[in-house]
Amino acid sequence: MEETARATVSGKSDAQPIGLRLKKHWGKYGMVYIFLVPILIHFLIFQVFPFAFSLVLTFMDWRFIGESEFVGLKHWINFFSDTLAHKAIWNTVLFSLYYIIPTMALGLILALTINSGIRFAGIFKGIFFLPVVTSFVIIAGIWGWIFQGTETGLVNSILGVFGIDSQLFLSSSGQALMVLAGLSILKVSGSTMIYYFAGLQSIPSQLYEAAKIDGAGPVRIFWSITFPLLKPIHFYVAIITTIGSFQIFDSTFLLTGGGPNYSTTTIVYYLYQQGFASLNLSYAAVLSYILFFIILIISLIQRKYIGKDSSIY
Amino acid sequence: MKKTWVWLPVISLALAACSQEDGSDNASSNSDGEMSGEITVWVHPYTGDSEKEDAMWDEIVSDYESEHGVTVNLETIPWANRDQKVLTALAANNGPDVFYAIPDQMPQYADVGMLLELDSYLGDYDLENFVESSLVSVQWQDKTYGLPILQEAYTLFYNTDIVEEIGEDPENLPETWEEFTAWSEKAVEAGYYAHSFQGGGSMNGTLYPFLWQAGGEVLTSDDEVKINEPEAVEAFELINTMYQDGWIPEDSITAMAHNEQWFNGEIMAITGSGNTLSLFESEGYENFAMAAPLTNQEQVTYGTTGMFVAPSNTDNPEAAAEFIKHVTNEENQRRFNSVTKYIPTREAAKDIFDGQPHLEQIASYTQYALPGVIHPKGRDIMPSIQAELQSMMAGEKSPQEAADAAAAAIENVLAQ
Repeated sequence: MEETARATVSGKSDAQPIGLRLKKHWGKYGMVYIFLVPILIHFLIFQVFPFAFSLVLTFMDWRFIGESEFVGLKHWINFFSDTLAHKAIWNTVLFSLYYIIPTMALGLILALTINSGIRFAGIFKGIFFLPVVTSFVIIAGIWGWIFQGTETGLVNSILGVFGIDSQLFLSSSGQALMVLAGLSILKVSGSTMIYYFAGLQSIPSQLYEAAKIDGAGPVRIFWSITFPLLKPIHFYVAIITTIGSFQIFDSTFLLTGGGPNYSTTTIVYYLYQQGFASLNLSYAAVLSYILFFIILIISLIQRKYIGKDSSIY
Repeated sequence: MKKTWVWLPVISLALAACSQEDGSDNASSNSDGEMSGEITVWVHPYTGDSEKEDAMWDEIVSDYESEHGVTVNLETIPWANRDQKVLTALAANNGPDVFYAIPDQMPQYADVGMLLELDSYLGDYDLENFVESSLVSVQWQDKTYGLPILQEAYTLFYNTDIVEEIGEDPENLPETWEEFTAWSEKAVEAGYYAHSFQGGGSMNGTLYPFLWQAGGEVLTSDDEVKINEPEAVEAFELINTMYQDGWIPEDSITAMAHNEQWFNGEIMAITGSGNTLSLFESEGYENFAMAAPLTNQEQVTYGTTGMFVAPSNTDNPEAAAEFIKHVTNEENQRRFNSVTKYIPTREAAKDIFDGQPHLEQIASYTQYALPGVIHPKGRDIMPSIQAELQSMMAGEKSPQEAADAAAAAIENVLAQ
């Protein structure tokens, strides 16, 4: 057995006929392969096939039924002159800017709160997590009511008390995207809190004790111990919130319909419009690949700059 | 030998993967022309009362099955994302043989060959009894792709308390733009909104009715863009006045509904239809009066038409076409619309509203109801028009500039 291992490691694999080696390998790992078959089939059908099919689709004209026609790079070229698609990407980038850092910050603050030894921490954890498990449609409905752009809207009523003029919120090109980002932050921060809470729990308590003995205060402890040691969590949360922000769809679909004047039309909403309202499925596939490349590039950048030395402890 | 069992999951999965239906049991017709086999029909929850609806469909389906010997698999599909459901099912050749469609969908689907032309199955079928405006919705380029089951007509509902407060008579509601303008100014002066406006919703409920009333058009079936012609611009101007002068709520640019303001007594008039009546009934709201659709150059309003259509890849076209005729016949229109409270598309079936004055009144307005822009790009152009309308309301463009920009955007969509 050791000999076989040595032969493999040293690359001298000619010692045994390939058939015999395969038989041995199958005898050892056969069951593993068999039990992997269902998930592999699922992966091929629901991940690999749609991915490959949509790539083929980008070079075709196909509208669900009937013959498809090969059109080469037509849809890819169209993307470069489609100003609406560019606006949708820009809106999505803006949304990400409004969303990622506040979501991470709020998640961290909530995690620190429940990790601080506060009484009824379990209850607070449940309350903070509640928006995550609540239907998005319900939360969006309430959010739309809170930020109603009339004088009788809840936030406008409060602003009125302080003598501030009513705001249009979702009816304003300049404010609508921020209001939608606020909704997503509320919805997702509970999940972020759980990741950070898990990270906080795994920081060795001896570090805190040693810091206290050395006379470090809570702020110094946070910036010198807690924050840096959460680096793997920062990286993970940054990745998932970035991906989530680029896939934003529900809130714009439910609250603004992409308006006013396309100011909340995000890339996924535009993709949806192209695919299912205009039946322009091939162009929607191009947009989905553009989105894929954007997320891939951002993830690689994040990995390079945030993910470096992420396994610090 | 003892490891034979480990192959079982693999064999089972392979068999499962190979056991696709070939559709051969959906036989279309016998050699003697009689229908057989089965069809799948997709309907939607048209009311909140599924028990009543189930009983209604049981009657309609059992009559059809006993008359034609075809089994009907009726499936109620939720409204949410129905476009995706229909399209993906049809693309997978696993869709319904008959499904419900609205006028926005019909020309778009028909134009790409997704719908079965019914003309050859209709023969000498009598279409005379259908309301003329409902047949407009089921035909595209002189071909019939569906038969209408229901209609709606949108009109203005007035809060009678506010009408009296501004010194007007609820028995004599505005009929023209001029009268409506005078009333609106009075309502705003008295501290109310004159009207609701769902700028985040479909253009069918906002711009289009005003545009048609002004004698304008959005787009002809010959791809002629007319949205920036003077008549159409008049509608842009009216909406601009409505917003800038405070006739409609501040959030009208993207609002999806103004029910809350209506029930709070803040709005003089809202646009509504039969479902508005149902809402009023459920809320116990009685202080309202309905007016006929407004007239400027023409008396016209929006009203959708619901229809049943068959996909072109149905395995059983004869049975599907026959079901469409069956479900839209006079008797079944009575059954369907009695339960759903929509308006029948057959004149004779409108007697279901005898003794119900409000529904009877709405039913009388279907003659003025246009079903939207009947064009394959009818839905594609809507976001562009909406964006320009929103720009105008936000003060970024004048009515003419917004209309011109909308026309350019439509040309762009048509050129794609």
